[in-house]
Amino acid sequence: MSDWQNSPPAEDWTIDELMIARLAACFADGDQACNGMASFVPVSAFWLARLTHAPELVWLAGAVGLEPRPDRVPASTLEAPLWRDSIMYVEQYGDFWTIALNGRWLTKFCVGSAQLDRYGNGNNSIIGTDYHAPRVRLPGTAGLGDMGSIGKALYYWNPNHNPRSLVENVDFISCAGYLGGGTERADAGLEGGPELVITNLCVMDFHPETRHMQVASLHPGVTFEQVQEATGFELPTPEGQLSTTAIPTVEQVRLIREVIDPDDMRRREFGG
Amino acid sequence: MSAEKLTTLEDAAALVRDGDTVAIQNMATQAAPMALVRELIRQGRQELGVVCLVGGIPVDWLAAAGAMNRLVGAAVSMEQFGLCQRYRKAVEAGVIRVEELSETALNARLGAGARNLPFLPTRGLIGTDLIDVNDNLVMLDDPFGGPSVVACKALVPDVALVHAHKADRFGNIGYEPTALWPDLGIMPKAATTVIVTVEEIVDSEVLRANPDRTVLPGFMVDAVVEAPFGAHPTSFYPCYGYDTAMHLEWIGSARDDEVVAGFLEKYVTGPADHAAYLEAAGGSERLAAVEDWEAS
Repeated sequence: MSDWQNSPPAEDWTIDELMIARLAACFADGDQACNGMASFVPVSAFWLARLTHAPELVWLAGAVGLEPRPDRVPASTLEAPLWRDSIMYVEQYGDFWTIALNGRWLTKFCVGSAQLDRYGNGNNSIIGTDYHAPRVRLPGTAGLGDMGSIGKALYYWNPNHNPRSLVENVDFISCAGYLGGGTERADAGLEGGPELVITNLCVMDFHPETRHMQVASLHPGVTFEQVQEATGFELPTPEGQLSTTAIPTVEQVRLIREVIDPDDMRRREFGG
Repeated sequence: MSAEKLTTLEDAAALVRDGDTVAIQNMATQAAPMALVRELIRQGRQELGVVCLVGGIPVDWLAAAGAMNRLVGAAVSMEQFGLCQRYRKAVEAGVIRVEELSETALNARLGAGARNLPFLPTRGLIGTDLIDVNDNLVMLDDPFGGPSVVACKALVPDVALVHAHKADRFGNIGYEPTALWPDLGIMPKAATTVIVTVEEIVDSEVLRANPDRTVLPGFMVDAVVEAPFGAHPTSFYPCYGYDTAMHLEWIGSARDDEVVAGFLEKYVTGPADHAAYLEAAGGSERLAAVEDWEAS
C-alpha cells in the first residue's frame, strides 16, 4: 500500500481530482458503494478510497460486478471493461435491488442530476411544465427514483455548478430530496436524504432544521460571491469564515492520474 | 418430445403486430436484440409501444423510423454517446408518450405481470412527481400498519425480444459465463410471446453439459433465431463490445432528418437481411475489431 497518510498537499492538483478526493472521504471501510452510468467521478472516488483509507470499501461496479479488478477507468462505467475479474455477478432483478432495498447495505448513493434544487430534490426527467410535451426530455430517473426514497444518504456530484443545474425549484421531482424542506421528507415517511453536494466550486450540505442547501466549504481560490453568482437560488449567508475544501495530496493525485484513470475519462464530465 | 422453435428472423419478427407493446432487452449500449429491431423496422411495423429498462440505440432507431408511439421505461440514454436525439425530439413533439418508472417500479410492474398478480408494491418513488403523472402507480396503505407503499399495476407486454448466446432448436436458451443482462430475469417471463435471437444454435447436449447456464426454458419461448452479432452495434459479452464507430456515426447523423433517412437506408432498411447488414456495417474486419471488447 502506498504511503498516503504522510503525503503533502499537491501543488498541481486539478478540480476533478479535488472533487474525487472529497467524495472518496465520504466512504469508509464497512460501506458498500455502487455506480451507475457515466459516473467517472464516483468510480474514481471509490477506487481511490480503496487504495487509501478504506481498503475494505465494497464496490459493486455498474451495479453488476462485485469487487472488480479493472485495469483503468474505461469509457463506460456500465460495460464489462469496468467489471472485469469480479468475484460475483449481481443479477439486477433478484439480487441488486434486494441488496439496495434491504436497508443494511448500500446505505450511501452518489447521484448525478441535471437539475438539483435548494432542498436537494433531483430532476432527470423533463425541463418544462408539461410532462407529456416537455421543452427538454431528459434521460429519465433510472435508479434515482428509488434511491431517493429508500433511506439512502445521497451524495450529489456536479462538475458544472451553474444556475441551470442548481435551481430554486426543480421542474419535476424525479429523485426525492427534502421535498419542500423542514420536516416534509420525514412527514412523507422517508428516511435518509441528501447529505452533501460536491461541485466544481464548493461543498454544500443541508441545514439540519430548514433542510435548505448551504455552503459547507469553498474550494481553494473560490469566494462565496462566486458560488452565489453561479447558483439559481439565494444561499444562506455564512456565519463567520467558511472553511476551505482540503487539497488532494501528492499521493492521491498520483493514484488518480497513474493508477485509476490514466486515460483522463473523469475530465469528460467537466465543462458541459 | 419438445416443440421445434427454430425459425427465420423474418418469420419471428412477423409475430409482432402493429400496435403491440414490445419489451426490449437493453441497458444503454448493452445487449439489445438489434437484429430483431432492424427486422421490425424493415417490415414497417407501426405504433409500437416499447418497454425497456434503459433503452439505447434500438429506441432511437425505432423512433427515427416512426415505428413507435409510446415507451415504458426507467431511462433512455446511450451513456457515453449521449441522449437518444430522435427519441427525445419525438417525445418533445408529443409523438411518443413516456411512462417513466424507477427501476423497482418497472420490475414490480413486470413481476406482477409474470406472476399473474394485479400489482406489486415498491417503496421507491415516494415523494417524487412520477407517481402523480402515472395512473399505473397508486399510493397504498400497508394493511399491516407499516408505512405506505406504491402499488405498481401489472404489465404484460405482448412480446419480449431477447438476445442470448446460444439455444437449441427447441428454444432452451443458454448463457455463456458472464453477467446476466438486467432485464432478463423478469421481462421475458411477463410477456405473452417471447422471441429470442442467439449467437449460435447448438445441440441440446451442449446445454445439458451446463444446465446452470440455461436461463429460459423452451416452453416459455415462441421463436428462436440464429443471428451471430445479433446485438451489434450494442455489446454482448463475452462475444463482443459495443461498436464505438457506429454509435458515433449515428449521433453524428441524428440531428438532420435527411442524414437520418440515409443512415437508416444504409444500415436498416437497405440491407436485405442480417448477413447483408453485417456486411454494410463493415464486414468481418469491423466485427473482428469489436470482438476485442477489452479495448473498449
